[in-house]
Amino acid sequence: MQKSQLQSSQKKISQPIEFGAYSEHVPGQIPSALKYATGRFMEQRAASLDELPDWEALRQAGSAIRLHTLENLDFYLEKLEQQVIAAGGQVHWAKDAADACEIVLELARQHAVKRAVKVKSMATEEIGLNHALQEAGIEVVETDLGEYIIQLMGTGPSHIVAPAVHLKKEQIAEVFSQEFGIEAPTDPVQLTAIARQALREKFLAADLGISGANFLVAETGTLVIVTNEGNGRMCTTLPDVHVAVAGIDKVVPDWESLSVLLKLLPRSGAGQKITVYTSFITGPRRAKDEHGPSEFHLVLLDNGRSRILQDPGGRETLKCIRCGSCLNICPVYRNVGGYAYGWFISGPIGAIFTPQILGVQQASELPFASSLCGACDEVCPVKVPITKILLHLRRRVVEGDGYELAVVAPPLRAAAALGRQALGTAWLYRLGGRLLPWLQIPWLRAGWLSKLPPPLNRWTKVRPLPAFQARFRKWWKRRQQVSTGDQP
Amino acid sequence: MSEKSRSAVLDAVRGALQRQPGDSLAERLPVLSSRQAASQAQELQLLIDEIQKLSGHAQMISSSQVAAALAGLVRTYQVKQAVLWDTPLLQQLGLAARLTDLGVRVVPAHSDKQMLSECDLGITEADFALPETGTLGLLSNAERPRLVSLLPRLHLAIMRPAALRADLHQVFAEARTHAYLILISGPSRTSDIEMTPTLGVHGPRDVHVWVLETDL
Amino acid sequence: MKAQLFITCLAEQFFPGVLEKMVALLEKLGVEPVFPTEQTCCGQPLYNSGFQEQARQLAIKWLDTFSQSDLPVVSPSGSCVDMVRHHYPALFPPGTSEHSRAVDLAGRTYEFSEFLVHQLGQIDVGAVFPHRVTYHASCHLLRGLGVRQEPLQLLQAVHGLELLPLDGTETCCGFGGVFSVVYPEVSRAMLQDKVNHILESGAEAVVASDAGCLMNIAGGLHRVGSPVRAMHLIEVLASGINLD
Repeated sequence: MQKSQLQSSQKKISQPIEFGAYSEHVPGQIPSALKYATGRFMEQRAASLDELPDWEALRQAGSAIRLHTLENLDFYLEKLEQQVIAAGGQVHWAKDAADACEIVLELARQHAVKRAVKVKSMATEEIGLNHALQEAGIEVVETDLGEYIIQLMGTGPSHIVAPAVHLKKEQIAEVFSQEFGIEAPTDPVQLTAIARQALREKFLAADLGISGANFLVAETGTLVIVTNEGNGRMCTTLPDVHVAVAGIDKVVPDWESLSVLLKLLPRSGAGQKITVYTSFITGPRRAKDEHGPSEFHLVLLDNGRSRILQDPGGRETLKCIRCGSCLNICPVYRNVGGYAYGWFISGPIGAIFTPQILGVQQASELPFASSLCGACDEVCPVKVPITKILLHLRRRVVEGDGYELAVVAPPLRAAAALGRQALGTAWLYRLGGRLLPWLQIPWLRAGWLSKLPPPLNRWTKVRPLPAFQARFRKWWKRRQQVSTGDQP
Repeated sequence: MSEKSRSAVLDAVRGALQRQPGDSLAERLPVLSSRQAASQAQELQLLIDEIQKLSGHAQMISSSQVAAALAGLVRTYQVKQAVLWDTPLLQQLGLAARLTDLGVRVVPAHSDKQMLSECDLGITEADFALPETGTLGLLSNAERPRLVSLLPRLHLAIMRPAALRADLHQVFAEARTHAYLILISGPSRTSDIEMTPTLGVHGPRDVHVWVLETDL
Repeated sequence: MKAQLFITCLAEQFFPGVLEKMVALLEKLGVEPVFPTEQTCCGQPLYNSGFQEQARQLAIKWLDTFSQSDLPVVSPSGSCVDMVRHHYPALFPPGTSEHSRAVDLAGRTYEFSEFLVHQLGQIDVGAVFPHRVTYHASCHLLRGLGVRQEPLQLLQAVHGLELLPLDGTETCCGFGGVFSVVYPEVSRAMLQDKVNHILESGAEAVVASDAGCLMNIAGGLHRVGSPVRAMHLIEVLASGINLD
């Protein structure tokens, strides 16, 4: 499953994402590891919010900033481009994943790149960049510790902020042992030291640094990257060429709005007031005797975002700043993990992003991968109305809308219409209520229905159904007769 | 190809929003009030406290104490090779000479990256300091090379109280015209392995901040 | 004062005792209940499954039923009230009679605990229930309607009741309507977490204000052989009072 997960993120996915099938056989360590890690994130988040005078005001401001930007996106994209160019950088536009990979490949060819180092970037996972570069014979090394580990394991990320959060240190030691031909200790501090040394060599030898962007400031053409490890700085300072790939939804109007979003992002994601490193990069280095790349390239990626933008019911999906707090709070995600969502982005945001980018034909199960509890809406720092968008997408799957045809077959829709008519016809509904207590008798034991035939067994295999016992209407009628004096 | 893609993307965005090229902005953005600074002494104490919370080290220092403090650092961290920013303040403090006296090899800031990577100590200034989060802000240019605060395992930042800023807003107001800014809040860290906090992943494992008691 | 009863399809099928007690309790508190017999289902299961057009038809029927009078509507289920209050108006284009009726009814449809506390100003109804009780905060009641304190206030006023904290009280129990049968294994995992927390709380009973949660949690407790009772808030509030 894990290898195919990686492959599917490297090429356009052609098979439907099977959340249901995966969720039936979740490897045991995933829920326990995730509950521990996400629990810690949420504790830290709560502590970091307690210190802020007005978290709600900050969220509202963040949401307004993101919405404003999306509603004027063309303006800000052009401003951004103009400023990056004025700063000596180059801007490339990519309609889709293939376009974006081709742009980076072409740059790599032009510079005879042999070795690339990468900062964790969801946009590059979205387009399958590593695979494309590796096919062209270029070494690509993930340098975020968690991403480095899963790259060595040949698997994909299980969480959008902490990609290796589901792994045990023994597994990591095993993979390091294989990679370096040593007996790696299981102590995390020592494992980290091994990675530091190995990656230090890669940083120094790389001729291309690849990053994403946490934010792109249109006002000055500035790329903002947040990390805790320092690999972001390494990748964007040491190699002579730096390429950043970012979704067009990463634009921020100016530094003032940026300061709001930088207060929201680290606290929501991991409960940090600020990450260890926040880099603000405007173009390449200015003079030869400065440190930094001599060339800076920004690749702006659409890949379906403009279509989401067009849909007022889905547009707010693009407000997301990829903090991961919706994953951390989601009881569904915490019990199944990231792989169930079938792509590089998981949890509640994955359940709405993926179907809108890949289409509901491929991702029809995802909008239903939620109990609609609403906890994600409450924690989202920029107020993405995730539950509302899930319902919007469920309708798209079942009924179709102006954006896509329905996935659900006409017979099922016809059955639903019939069911609705029965439910909505009072005498039929009341009749059903009177019949069910009789019909259930073969399965009724001590007030419970523990084993029902399909499809009701989908309920009873987990827990019994209480007995059908509709008697209120009769009770009410009798009570009315008593009180209106059917009495002498 | 990119020109075609450029129009394709921008046209798709405009079409989605039903906007025309040249349309102006639809509305103004909200402005949040920023933090007000307390007294300088309180701000400095807050900065020091926050840096310690991040497992960094911070202290007030007078220029006469610098020599001894430097010797202490060299001894504690077994510094063999060091690199410094080339700024007037650091020159005034005579750090390069003092390090050489202590037997430390001082390499030029524009040495090749391999050489810089072999340095145990990197000394910079801090152009900005944010007390609330224990954050240092460093600009970059020919006399302020970026790798000095990144490659060595020990980073020493020397700052004047005048570098204090109350809030990110103020830092941004000044830094936005610069080509590069790095905000540093404590030593490099990760919790990627079973949520176990570990320091010194790629960036420095130890960060020391000296705040000069009197502005030089 | 009079109020219309919106008994909800799940409570009607599975918890008639709760409905009977709700009627008796309302009368004791001076409210004369009215029961529009044409009511069936508010359409939430269809709406949540993506069948918005079908849900719209049921919504029209619901509006037809309850707009016959100006009286407020009271219901024992938070999720059904959330459907009416937040989703009904959005189902109809503004300017239509359905839309204005939806807006009107959204403004006067209440879940039981919010009705007691805010419309009747009642917190201590005189109930007696000398047991250790813990509270599960149903998702739609909590996040949909913003009803957070009211059930707790009502429980705390019950004589003899010891209210124990529930770890993860605000975490979904795994019902989620159709979710429970679309992804039963995920639902199972979430239910297991909820049941474990309930057992760890040391309570003799867990109280919730939504038939869906109660079906799910009661079934989960039964399957592990636990004696802990899953009760509706109304059953606790009706305890120890002479309701005749």
